[in-house]
Amino acid sequence: MEDWRRIDIDAFDPESGRLTEEDLKPPYATQVGLQELQPKISQLRSAATSGDFASAVQLATSDPPYNSDDATKLQYFSAVLEVLTQVRQAEIINIVKQLSPKQQEVLIKYLYKGMSLPEGQKQGGILLSWFEKVTQVSGVGPIVRYLSDRNTV
Amino acid sequence: MLYLQPQNLLVQKTLTEALEANARGTPLILDRIISDFDYTTLHISNSPEEKALLWISIKTKAWLSISKCGPDLVGYLNTKYDDLAGVSTCQPEGGYDYTLQVDLKALQNDAVVQLSLLKVMTMSYPFQLAFNEFASLAQLPEGSNTTETVHKIEYRDDENVFIKPSNDRITVIFETFFQDETDKVFGKVFLQEFVDSRKRNRAIQSAPQVLFSHEPPLEISKLVSSRVSEKSRRFITFVLFPRHFQTPELQFSSICHLALFRNYFHYHIKCSKAYMHSRMRYRVDTFIKVLNRAKLDENEDGSEETTRRTVTGRKMVY
Amino acid sequence: MSQSLRPYLTAVRHSLQAALNLSNFSSQVVERHNRPEVEVPNASAELLLQPMHISRNEHEQVLIEPSVNSVRVSIKVKQADEIEQILVHKFTRFLEQRAESFYVLRRVAIPGFSISFLITNMHTETMNTEKLVDFIIEFMEEVDKEISEMKLFLNARARFVAEAYLGEFVY
Repeated sequence: MEDWRRIDIDAFDPESGRLTEEDLKPPYATQVGLQELQPKISQLRSAATSGDFASAVQLATSDPPYNSDDATKLQYFSAVLEVLTQVRQAEIINIVKQLSPKQQEVLIKYLYKGMSLPEGQKQGGILLSWFEKVTQVSGVGPIVRYLSDRNTV
Repeated sequence: MLYLQPQNLLVQKTLTEALEANARGTPLILDRIISDFDYTTLHISNSPEEKALLWISIKTKAWLSISKCGPDLVGYLNTKYDDLAGVSTCQPEGGYDYTLQVDLKALQNDAVVQLSLLKVMTMSYPFQLAFNEFASLAQLPEGSNTTETVHKIEYRDDENVFIKPSNDRITVIFETFFQDETDKVFGKVFLQEFVDSRKRNRAIQSAPQVLFSHEPPLEISKLVSSRVSEKSRRFITFVLFPRHFQTPELQFSSICHLALFRNYFHYHIKCSKAYMHSRMRYRVDTFIKVLNRAKLDENEDGSEETTRRTVTGRKMVY
Repeated sequence: MSQSLRPYLTAVRHSLQAALNLSNFSSQVVERHNRPEVEVPNASAELLLQPMHISRNEHEQVLIEPSVNSVRVSIKVKQADEIEQILVHKFTRFLEQRAESFYVLRRVAIPGFSISFLITNMHTETMNTEKLVDFIIEFMEEVDKEISEMKLFLNARARFVAEAYLGEFVY
């Protein structure tokens, strides 16, 4: 039998006041599924193929799917990663400058997410240069906001 | 110290001391057990009747397998030592394989080195047999000059030396295995360098060819195939050509080096580890220095408190 | 410094600067306890912040796990082959055995990483945070350098030893 002394009884007590990961998620009005997101993903891809990276990154970092399940987020993320890795080194700084603070924050979220997944780790160098440019433009602000934001991408 | 010496320094020292003490007329009372590489023990003691007589006994793990290699190991050792003045052979002491009796009154200084080589002399027997077989095989006409003989020395628990004479060369194969994971990796680096260095450095082109494999080489595959091939086993092959054993002096020098091969490279693995250890120690110190730079100066922090004094000039304590 | 190392280190530096923003925080569960909240299992989720992954490639990563009163920094050191693996293992173990003189070093690395640091509010109160970040960055630089130097040394020594041994057979 399991060591009963180690059983965490507070976890079974609804009155304990302890918060879990789920409790912290902001209340979302609607759940965005893959179907609703598909047009945006294809829009991203077409912007990237036409070479208009500035608007592609703008589009990617505005209104990201916070309120979706993990699989949908991953789909959207891989589209964003595709866009980010196609941009040439020299252009990065200009694109970052055009983003609003809100969009930079979202970009940081995607960069951290990218570096935690094997797909993104292969492109570590590119993600790191994006990261460097963001901090050049607006310092550690976006990182601090990333730390405390419960909206995950 | 780059090389290991073939003679046993402790035996040499003990005998020199005994010799000097005897010359002064105050013979030492000795009963020393001296260890050597590869489970070898030497015992030096006075003979019970006569103080000036010493017994030097050897016990080695390899004895059994060496004595199986040829007809007369004891006879071979006797011929090596009988010529020396003051050294005679006698019955082996209980628990030991071979015993020499040394008369300190007649012993010459030069003979001390020979006596401290006792272990290498024992190991040299199968090599000597191989040299002899090579000589007879080289005389025979083409076609009939091969032999199946392989001498095997079991000198450690799981490690063996195989010596195979043929008509144009002598192959010496070391079977070795590493218990420690680190030793295994370090050993691989070292062994690989043994193989490569001859190709790279022109100055040592005439050294024996060295091969290194995980699988038993063909020469000895019959002898080891019965055992389960472990992953950590390694085979190192030295190919000796006639130029390495033309004269008795060359033969002896080759034997000395080969007998110490395993000890030599394990010794250097240990040395590398020791060096790395001291290097890491130094690195830790520098890291701590960097970290201590981050510490806030305590005086700076508590300067206000330290200046608080009472009217009479006493430090305020609270 | 190589081209991709600089952005890597600056990213780690910025992330650490953001994360090392700690305050004294007593345990919510046990009276008169004050413990690093990243290390406490089943703690309340509101005390933990979003973890940060910074990776140069698959083999070189840093994971920063911030919480309200402590930050755990784990470093994965490059291990290209068997030898480097052994060397990294030996080196980190050597450091971990001396953890008490390092204050911020964690005695055991978290799974998947070579070495971990645990920085609590006690450390940021007695130490200069900027210099603490400098230490972590310098550590990352030096470890890589140290490992490759040790590997070179091992090869050089092996070569020298082998040549010296075989040189004895040249007559």
